[in-house]
Amino acid sequence: MTTSITMPQLGETVLEGTIIRWLKQVGDTVAADEPLFEISTDKVDTEIPSPAAGTLSAILVPEGETVSVGTELATIDDGARGAGDTASDAGATSDAGTTAAVTTTPPGADGSKPPTTDGTGTTRSAGTAPRRVPVSTPARGGPRSSILSPIVRKMAAEHGVNLGKVTGSGAGGRITKGDIEAYLASEPPAATAPKLRVVSPADGAREEIVPVSHIRKRIAEHMHESVQTSARAWSMVDVDLENVALLREREKQAFRDREGAALTYMPFVARAVCEALLEYPQVNAELRGDDLVLHRYVNLGIAVAYAEGLIVPVIADADSMNLVGLARAIGDIASRARAKQLSPDEVHGATFTITNPGPFGSIMSVPIINQPNTAILSLDAVEKRPVVVDDAIAIRHRVYLSMSWDHRVIDGALASRFLARVKASLETWDFAEDLGR
Amino acid sequence: MAKAAVDAGAAGHGAEPRGKRTPQGEATYLVAIAEGLWEEMERDPSVYCLGEDIGVYGGAFKVTEGFIERFGSERIMDTPICEETIMGMSVGSAMAGMRPVAEVQYADFIANGFDELINVAGKYHYRTGVPLPMVVRGPSGGGVRASNFHSQNPEPWFAHSPGFKVMCPAFPSDAKGLLKSAIRDDNPCIFFEHKWIYRRIKEAVPDDPDFLVPIGKAKVRREGTDCTIISYGAMVHLALEAAEDLAADGISAEVVDLRTVTPLDAETVMTSVAKTSRALIVYESHRFLGIGAEVAAQIAEDAFEHLDAPVMRLAPPNVPVPFSPPLEDAFLPQVPDIAAAARSLVGW
Amino acid sequence: MLHDLMLSRYFDERMDALYRQGRLPGAIYSGRGQEGTHVGAASSLEPDDALLTTHRDLTAQLTKGLDLKRVMAQYWGRIDGYTRGRDGNSHIGDWAGSRTFAVVSMLPDAYPVAAGVALAFKRQGQPHVSMAICGDGSTSNGRWHESLNVSAIHDLPVVWVVNNNLYAYSTPNPLEFKIPTIAERSSAYGMPGVRVDGADVLKVFIAARGAVDRARNGDGPTLIESVSLRWKGHAGHDPATYVDKALLEEYMTNRDPVKRFQDLLLAENVVSQDDVAVLEQEIEREFQEGFDFAQASPFPVPDDVDKGLFTDDGYWTSEPSREGGTG
Repeated sequence: MTTSITMPQLGETVLEGTIIRWLKQVGDTVAADEPLFEISTDKVDTEIPSPAAGTLSAILVPEGETVSVGTELATIDDGARGAGDTASDAGATSDAGTTAAVTTTPPGADGSKPPTTDGTGTTRSAGTAPRRVPVSTPARGGPRSSILSPIVRKMAAEHGVNLGKVTGSGAGGRITKGDIEAYLASEPPAATAPKLRVVSPADGAREEIVPVSHIRKRIAEHMHESVQTSARAWSMVDVDLENVALLREREKQAFRDREGAALTYMPFVARAVCEALLEYPQVNAELRGDDLVLHRYVNLGIAVAYAEGLIVPVIADADSMNLVGLARAIGDIASRARAKQLSPDEVHGATFTITNPGPFGSIMSVPIINQPNTAILSLDAVEKRPVVVDDAIAIRHRVYLSMSWDHRVIDGALASRFLARVKASLETWDFAEDLGR
Repeated sequence: MAKAAVDAGAAGHGAEPRGKRTPQGEATYLVAIAEGLWEEMERDPSVYCLGEDIGVYGGAFKVTEGFIERFGSERIMDTPICEETIMGMSVGSAMAGMRPVAEVQYADFIANGFDELINVAGKYHYRTGVPLPMVVRGPSGGGVRASNFHSQNPEPWFAHSPGFKVMCPAFPSDAKGLLKSAIRDDNPCIFFEHKWIYRRIKEAVPDDPDFLVPIGKAKVRREGTDCTIISYGAMVHLALEAAEDLAADGISAEVVDLRTVTPLDAETVMTSVAKTSRALIVYESHRFLGIGAEVAAQIAEDAFEHLDAPVMRLAPPNVPVPFSPPLEDAFLPQVPDIAAAARSLVGW
Repeated sequence: MLHDLMLSRYFDERMDALYRQGRLPGAIYSGRGQEGTHVGAASSLEPDDALLTTHRDLTAQLTKGLDLKRVMAQYWGRIDGYTRGRDGNSHIGDWAGSRTFAVVSMLPDAYPVAAGVALAFKRQGQPHVSMAICGDGSTSNGRWHESLNVSAIHDLPVVWVVNNNLYAYSTPNPLEFKIPTIAERSSAYGMPGVRVDGADVLKVFIAARGAVDRARNGDGPTLIESVSLRWKGHAGHDPATYVDKALLEEYMTNRDPVKRFQDLLLAENVVSQDDVAVLEQEIEREFQEGFDFAQASPFPVPDDVDKGLFTDDGYWTSEPSREGGTG
């Protein structure tokens, strides 16, 4: 009996995935729930466990290839005889009744597999198939979204359009020529996916050619897209964290004992930011066409660095959490992000993002906005600095909070007021209450 | 020699048919054809007409009315009812230096002269290199409640069988210019005049006696971006009307008038389809193996990568042209049919 | 005339042999036994007169002036044939030179065309005559009637010759028409009709010349029925077993147009046996030259297959491509 492995639906808005690595090869024995392959979607990389035990009998989509959700990726054969095996076992009697609940696939019967391409835009086609126009795979937007007319294929190939990003307006969600034209008109430079210029190998001793990882490509794409999209401006406040530092110093051991994690500056800032966002919803907004969507809740994106790059897990409804809740949530998603254990929906839907380069020593940053947010706040290193306090020079814990914001949505006055609100909260609030003291 | 009722020098080219223009100076399709024929007969004494009842009677539709007075009975030659011999005599006299313009009373009756056209005229130059400058005119098409034997569109017969240039103009100027080109052409030309258009469509037509419309050149009658409606003959007018309706819905339809069905102007068709990516072919010859079938095939072969939807055809079913108005209306593509087909094409 | 008769007979016999040996592609349509009709009728024409025939009447076209070499190149599908390989065997014509119509298989398709040619001669004031030859089979067809009718109405300068060889393929005269002779139909069209013995080339010639003169003088068309027998089948593949053996024997023995004319000339001392022998040698040489010419002539170039349908591409007004090589 053969089990078909398909590209899983990774969150309701995710439409396609890229095979990063096959962890098993054809012929390998696979246990149920044993990691079978790694995939990458728009925002998350994850391992996919095998849904069945048996032998990996075929890999249908090679590493590096992006396919739409539901595309058959591989087959696992459990060695038992099923309807799908009769072709290779002439004496067997097909008994469809015993296999009715299982998706079975006759060997090699992948004729319905939509055309796919690898990252270089070169068509991968089976056997000696004639030249085909290389195109990406369309999103699953409707019953007819997989129908690609000749002109759509041609334009997608010529302009490097990722069809997964084009919404089909034709009957049954079919992508029409007009959809491609509209897409190209709406995102002229983004349409040609940002490509890292490939330098031809010159001096082997002094240069090394490293293939760009999938996650790096996606980051590049998103960052470039953001810069192309937003009218980015930048503001910064200098915040006195002396009180927070004192509280943190006082409570950190007890917190670690109780929570098993360090009490960092991050939850304090997050707490202050959530409060300010509720007060200034324009900063917590999304520009959607001609409308501005003001969020009355905060889904807080936290940029987390990990070995391969950067990921932005989201703390949903962060505005409903107190300091401890935020500290727990931040610790949880950060550790799971680094372990690639985030669920796809946990990297989606941020309304505002905080990035935190402080631990790496940066004291001032100009971050790129995490689309479709209006602003992103950078928490840099907290340092003791000499400052004037009440006309006297004092040594205080200080931090620069910088914010990149979209001038299409807000203006400098509002950005400054928002930052002033955050500053005031951090300097004046008694966070001890949040810690239950 | 024939007696000249009108002095050509005094009256000028096309004097008599031009006298039939409207007070505004417009010529109907029928008058435009008469003008073209008259001008060519004045220009070239080797041009003569033969056919049934074309002389004193002036033809069943009165295209040659008044011609016999001007050109005489030898150049406006009434024949017995003998279509094979009309065609064969056209071949023979063309071989021997004349330029016959034969009229079949209705295009349907060209079937009676079929063999001489298919087996003699169409093959002759290919076999021998002997030019056959001959034109066969015939009123074709339906929509006039003339039923089975007076409503056919025989253009595919001659488009399919080699050796003919087949013209199906839709507008008076094209009809005049194409007929004059056909008469001056050294090859067998089949000129179908759509009788539904004869007295319905009129426009200003050029007076220049050397005004010619090139054979084998289509014309974009209406510019559009969303789909291309390819047609010829009477259907062009319906397609234009449908395009007007579609425009009200925000659909921009381009209308290509083939004018000549063979040689087919593939270039104009492909250029338009490359622009709109959608092709609807509306034609009055039968759907199966009709002119539109060939146009569709060529688009599929040569413009495939430009297509955003399957090529569509709208044409009568493969049954004879029925008489009863509801039946004939169902048989022929109508304006709402064309608009609906275009909508479904654009919405595909 | 004797040359034409003897050449026709020799050509017919030799081509038949080559066909049976498998050395001649396509088809042959023997005119053997009917040479009197062909040579007699065609000899009555002037060079500018037109001749429109069927595929059985190659002898008439040869008499009118076709080049035997190009005829044979046509049989072998070569570029130097009159149709440049686009047609074969006796489906031949040479309008520009000999004023003959390229034969069309459908019969009598040449009849309406002959009327048209005659019409053009008349309308253009040219003193030429158009002659059409068909078989008895054609007379049952509507076009035959149409053509005779129109030609009479307009007094066209045309001569209608019917080569009545007693069979339309396999169908004998009694199953073709009820009346005793074809010639008597002429009165129904308002033109004279003549019936002659096709075995006697001089009688055919005299009748044809009379009709040609009449036409040239503006007195309109004439119908000539020339009776003979088709000695061979309809085409090379047809053994003609439907022909009565005794009838065939009678025609071959006593009504051989070639032998009869040769005997006449010998009896009248117009030619000697030596002259005939010389003529035979000359004809054999002509034939061999034609055969050699045809074999040396290249085949048409395949790329030219779609050229020359219309005048537009200039195929027929330019020299043909000759890199086809010889077969």
